[in-house]
Parts: sequence; structure tokens; C-alpha cells
Amino acid sequence: MLDRLKDIVRKTSINVCIVNCGGCNGCDVELVACLSPRYDLEQYGIYLQNNPRDADIILLTGPVTEQWEDKLRRIYAKTPEPKLVLAVGNCPQTGSVFAQEGGRVSAPASNFIPIDGAVSGCPPSPPEIINAILNVAPDAMVAKSHENKKIKDDEDEV
Amino acid sequence: MIVPIGPVHPGLKEPLRLKLETQGERVVKAEIDYGYVHRGIEKIMEGKTWQKCIYLAERICGICSYEHTQSFAEVLEHMAGVYAPPRAQFLRVITNELDRIQSHYLANSTFFKCLDHELLFMKVLELREYAMDSIELLTGNRVNMGWNVLGGVRMDANEEHFNAILENLKVIEENHDRIVELFSEGSVLALRTKGVGEMTREEALKGRAVGPIGRASGLKHDCREFHPTYRDHLDFSPIWRKEGDNYARVMNRFDEIPQSIDLIKQAIDNMPKGDIRVPVEVNTGYSEWVNEAPRGEVKYMCETNGNLIKHISIRTPSITNIDSCAKYMLTNVPTVADAVATYASCDPCIACAERVQVLNRDTNEKIVKDMF
Amino acid sequence: MSSLIWYVYEFARKTWINRFTDAKSHKESVEKPSRFRDFPVVIKENCIGCGSCIASCPSPTAIKLVRDETTEEAEGLVYPVINEGGCIRCGFCAEVCPSNPKTLECGENHLIKEDFNIIPSKRRYIVDDYLCIKCNSCIKACPVDAVSVVDGHVKVNQLKCIACGECVKACKVKGAMKGIFIDNLQDQRKLIKLVVDSLEKYIEAQQEDLEKLAPESLLQLKFPISNIWDEALKIIPDTEIAHEIIENAVDRLKIRVITWNSEKCMKCQMCVKECPIGAISFDEERDTIVRDHDKCCRCSICFQTCPFAVIKLFLAKFVLDSDDEGNEYAFITVTPSQLDHDFIKGEHNAG
Repeated sequence: MLDRLKDIVRKTSINVCIVNCGGCNGCDVELVACLSPRYDLEQYGIYLQNNPRDADIILLTGPVTEQWEDKLRRIYAKTPEPKLVLAVGNCPQTGSVFAQEGGRVSAPASNFIPIDGAVSGCPPSPPEIINAILNVAPDAMVAKSHENKKIKDDEDEV
Repeated sequence: MIVPIGPVHPGLKEPLRLKLETQGERVVKAEIDYGYVHRGIEKIMEGKTWQKCIYLAERICGICSYEHTQSFAEVLEHMAGVYAPPRAQFLRVITNELDRIQSHYLANSTFFKCLDHELLFMKVLELREYAMDSIELLTGNRVNMGWNVLGGVRMDANEEHFNAILENLKVIEENHDRIVELFSEGSVLALRTKGVGEMTREEALKGRAVGPIGRASGLKHDCREFHPTYRDHLDFSPIWRKEGDNYARVMNRFDEIPQSIDLIKQAIDNMPKGDIRVPVEVNTGYSEWVNEAPRGEVKYMCETNGNLIKHISIRTPSITNIDSCAKYMLTNVPTVADAVATYASCDPCIACAERVQVLNRDTNEKIVKDMF
Repeated sequence: MSSLIWYVYEFARKTWINRFTDAKSHKESVEKPSRFRDFPVVIKENCIGCGSCIASCPSPTAIKLVRDETTEEAEGLVYPVINEGGCIRCGFCAEVCPSNPKTLECGENHLIKEDFNIIPSKRRYIVDDYLCIKCNSCIKACPVDAVSVVDGHVKVNQLKCIACGECVKACKVKGAMKGIFIDNLQDQRKLIKLVVDSLEKYIEAQQEDLEKLAPESLLQLKFPISNIWDEALKIIPDTEIAHEIIENAVDRLKIRVITWNSEKCMKCQMCVKECPIGAISFDEERDTIVRDHDKCCRCSICFQTCPFAVIKLFLAKFVLDSDDEGNEYAFITVTPSQLDHDFIKGEHNAG
């Protein structure tokens, strides 16, 4: 009974933190436009937070530059479980135009932290972002919490 | 004591670190730490043709992205001695002004978010969407448009598109005055913005401030006065103020928007007919070009070797604007929250401003002068 | 006070009341607008496999060419495949595709049909008119009809050419259809100067053998390319480009070589006055005639003027080839000039 209540709450109220690892700000501008009254992200129960410590999902934008390599791991470790990481745009996936000879970028971001989903586009438009988050996030959060609970129960038994 | 405002912060879109030195509650000095966004773009451009570089220049910064492609195209056209056809020049003017409208709205709404005034934040963002719709109708995408090429533009527009753009502009015009009045007549907002973060005219000259920030402190300088299309065909004069505090900067940006709408209407009325693209051949040489981005003056200096780019150097407005903000504006601010709002009012764009130099400490000579 | 009245007015307006009761986003904000430029769509059957889409893409991981397996019924198709994680949706590939109807469709970019194209390429393809035998094989091999006969000469239309290289493969004469590198022209000039200078110095060093050469005979020499290969790589670091430039410079090269026998010189100084550039001068202190090697243009006027046969003129022809072990040599053939002394004797007899 309590578990079912927990699942419903996890699906309908999600906290999000945006981490910009050195991108061009195109994807950040589209994420800020998602908050505007036309595309309204908050009507689905998704709230924007300041702090990685009270977030459920980390939205990653930008290719990983040299200064961010160790700081990205620290931010991932600070976020409490259950957590997901979504890559917005092309830069965290392959590095798009910056991963050429002469660039200072170590792409993809999955070299540093595990990534659970991605939205393609340079930059993806706000309807595409909202579509991706709504398709993936609620069910994935519930599945992750069940998985964590199972691991914890196995550990307790042993 | 020193208060750090860290790389991950909701009001600041980009990662940088602000170190504020406070005495009690009052902020006395500030220091800015860059370096998180360095990608090596100027180095990537060396040794490549223009087809591979023009959409890389667009991704230097996503907020002022249109101005970089126009300057890149105009620098190489100037080297070859070719002008774009008249219809292409007027279409470029329309997109330039639409980009300026959306960038000014975004800068002001970020300032209101830092002041925690949610009503103005949301209302200004809603008006911005009408300008983004018009950009999408003309060019095919909202941000990082991919519309300019050497010798002209790629997609044409006909009567229907112009009528749709004029309707969107009508909606903006009707609501603009009410929203500005909500800001300028409010008494609590005046307490928080008038007299905070002042920069006098001498300090602006010393710090080389450009754009709406310099114009709000009394420096009457706008690069659109020297551009061939604006000088010969359109009617235009810059807008400026004298006080130099947060209130003046925000109002200066709000006042430039009706002027941009007027310029767009002039361009649509006098639109010539003809083709929109000519072929351009790039040869060995050197040239420079100056343009006015939403944040100030942008200068491109380019040297080519045959068909390829040998060395390119880009001077963006945010380099000197942010430094003059840290040195002159943040010296005597009442609270820490006001300091964050002052930093947001000078319209920073860190991705445009990353530079790297490697020095040999023993001999004091520069080894790698690697920009961006 | 005025802002309080403004707030009350805002809440009482009809649009505010409508939005309060129906606080969801409109349906039309989610649909894609008409001119939006989405990821490109590939139509497999039209592709001709020329590779211009890959040459003009700004992003390194976005597009690649793929060939299907050949089955019994049909040959395997060649077509491009797009990686959505790397594509920046610029539409260059749809704009430069030369097939008709186009293979790639992206927004409205595939409707651009200009007379010129913008494919970046390192080479420019031109026809050497002197060597062309007008067999028209290149015209048949070109997939976009860029080569044609204009005023009796075969010419390549630079605005249509997509730089695929089929014409060079089809040409039956070596060197008639050339793909020249159009960037780093300064470095190419330096390399050609290095090659010609070293060949000339090598021939001038064989002065004794050349002096004994009879008028109708010839002398054959070999110059190993490995002597100048390290220097060549310092000027242009790419081995493919450096080798091709050396080959194009040496094949069918013809130069004039001047030798100077100072022992026979009587210091009459007639050559000093006749030289049109002023490359020859008389050094008073050391009592010798000095010839400036760099200024001299080998016009042969001094050869025709000197009455004591101090100066001799030779013609040299070259070809680049490798011997049995695979080492490359420039094979040189030197003949004395046919501007011989009969001409001079005739002048002296007449004058």
C-alpha cells in the first residue's frame, strides 16, 4: 500500500536540475523557453531546482570540456538515489562539430557518468524535449526505485 | 568574508564562478573565474574551407548566433570585393533585428528572475515567443539557424510570410508598453534597481564597454551607423541614457525594441526584387569587418591562404563588458542578491569570451596563443 | 496605487478568465510548423555514389556511405546513412546532391537549384590543351555532364564539377586531364623551385662531359629523387601531395642550361654590354667576369655574342621513372643547342 503511494508520487512530481558542461547555450535557451507559458513544463509536475542535492533528474547539455571532467563525477555522486541522467542535444552524445582535430573536448559524456537517455537535435526544439522527458521519465523513475529496493533487500539478506 | 556563487546556478545560464568579498551584508569587491567553456574553435577553423567553418562559427554562442554567421560571410565577401544582392541585404536586416528583439527580451527576463519577480519573468518570455515564431518562418529553425552563406541567403520569402511576420509584430507592439510600465512605475522595483551598480562615463571609457551597457552610461556609439545597408537605405539613430545604473540598462534594452520593429517595417516596405545569391571565390588575402551584435560590437579579422583559412581572430563584446562589470559595477552594492542581479543586468555571454594563453614562466614568452 | 488598479484590471479581463479555466498548452504549439528543417530523409534508389554529401558535411560523425550486399536478383545499392546523434540539420547534403531527382530531402533545401555549386574540394580539374587528343572519353565518363567541347577545345565547367575524379581515370593520355591542388600555392611554388634548382645544379656540375659533346650527339644522366625527398617533405608535409607535385614538375620539363669556361675568357667585355638584364658584370679588383645565377634568364644572347666560345648552351629534357629495384630517378637527356655557330659565322661574314 505504501509502495503504491510512493510510485504515484514519484511519477507525478519530478525535480530537475540543469548542468551545463561547457556548451554553446543553445540547448539552455530552449530549456528556458520550455518554462514559458506557451510550452509550460510545470503543468506536468516537473519543477526546476537550484541544487543537484534535491534533484531527481540531471539534464546534461554541452560537450565535456577539460575543466569539467572531475567536477561532473562529483555532481553525479552528490545526487541522491534514485536518479537518472538525460543528455539533451547532440554534444553529450558525440561532440558534434567540436570533436575534430584541434578541439579541446573529450566526448562522449558516457566516458564519465552513465547516461540513460538522449534527445537528438542541434538544438532540439521545446516540443521535442518535453515529448522525450514525458515518455521516459515517469516510468524510468519507478523502475529505478524498484531496482534499488531489490538490491537493498538482497544486501540485507546476505 | 568571501561568498562564492558557483558554476551551477539557476539564474546564470552558463558556468562561471563569482567570488564576492563582503563586509557584513555589503559587497565591496568581486572577482570572476572563467575557463569552463573553452572548446578550441579558432584552432579547429585553421586549414579548412568556408563550407565547413560557417556553421561552426554559429555555435560559438547560441544566444547571439545569427550575428556570427553574418559577420563571417561579410568578411569573406569583403575580401573578394563582392556585395550580396540588394534583396539578400534587406532580408538579412530583417533577421538581424528579429534576433535583437529576442535577445533583449531574454536578457531582461533573466534579470527579473534574479530579482525573484516571477510575473514579469513569465510575461516577457511569452512575448519573446512571437519573435521566435517569425524567425522560424523565415529561416527554418529557431536557434542556430543555418541560413546565411557566402554571397547571400538560402531561402526566400514571399507576401504570405511577410504578412504573418507583420501580424506577430502587431501582437508584440500592443503588449509591450503595458509590461514596460509595470516595471518603470513600480515603487518597490525602483528601490531595488535605481542607484545600484553605477558606472560613470569615465569608467566606461576606461573599461571599453560597448553595446547597450556603454550606451546606458553615456557613450553614444552604435556600429550600425557605419554598415553600408543601414547607412544608405534605412533611417536610424542610436538610443542612449546617462545614469548608468541597473534601471538605465534595463530600460535602454526595452527602448531599443520599438526601434527594431520600425526598422523591420521599413525594410519590408522597400524590399527590392531580384535573386538572393551570387557565387563568390575566395583567394589569398586579409580583411576585417565590424558588426553590431545584440550585446555590442563584434569584429572579425581573417587571413586566408588560397582556398583555406590560415588564421582567424574574433573579438566579441562580452570580453570587455564582463571585466568592466567586475571592476566598476560591483564595488558598492547593498546586498549579495543585488550583486547577482547586477551581474545579470550586464548581459554576460561567457561562451563568447573564453580565451587561453600559455606562458613560459621562466622566459616570460607566449608559447601557444590559442583562442576560444 | 496605480499598480493596484492595474492588477485588478488584469484579473478581470476576459483572456485571463479563459486561461484560468483552461490552463493547458494549445495543441498547435506541439505540431511542427511548415518550414521547419528536420533531419534529412534518404531515398535509396537515386544515389549515384559520388560522395559530394560527405565532402560538404561540417560535422565529422554525421553521414557515411554504405553498400548493400549483392544478391542474385540485383546489385547491391550504394546510399548514405545519417547518424542523428551527430547531424546539425544544416541541409548542405541535400543542397549539393547532383542526382536528379535528389537522394536527400531536408526541409526546403533540396529545392535549391542554382547554376553553381558549393562543394569544397582540394583539387580543381582542368584540361591541358597541348596534350589533349580529343578522344572524348572524359565527356562520356562524367556523371553530371560538366565536360564539353567549347570552340573546338575540351573544357571543364567549374560551376558544375563535383570533383569526383572519374575523368582522370578515363583519360587515355597521362597528364592531359589534371587535378591540381588549389591551396597552399606558395608552398607548391617553393617545392617546384627546389626541384628545378637542384636538377639544374646537378647538370651544371657535369661541365667537363658537356664541353666534349659533339653537336648532334646527346648525354644521358640519372638523378635520384631521394636526394631531395627530405627537403620536399619539410615544405609540404603530405607525402601524396609532395610526390604528385614532383611528378608533375619533372615530367615533360624542358630547361636551358648555360656552362661557362673561364679559362678561355679574354675579357673583351662584349657580353657585359649585350646582356639585357644586367646579369653579367666585370669585377675590377679580381679581373674576372661575374655572372649572376639568379638574375640570368637564359635568353642565350651572351652565347650568340661571345667570339671565343666561352659560353655554351644546352637543352635538357626529363622524365620521372623508377628502375628495377623501385628507386625513383629523374632520367635526363642533354643535347647542345641548335642555335649554332653557323649563324654567328654568317653574321661575321656579312659584317
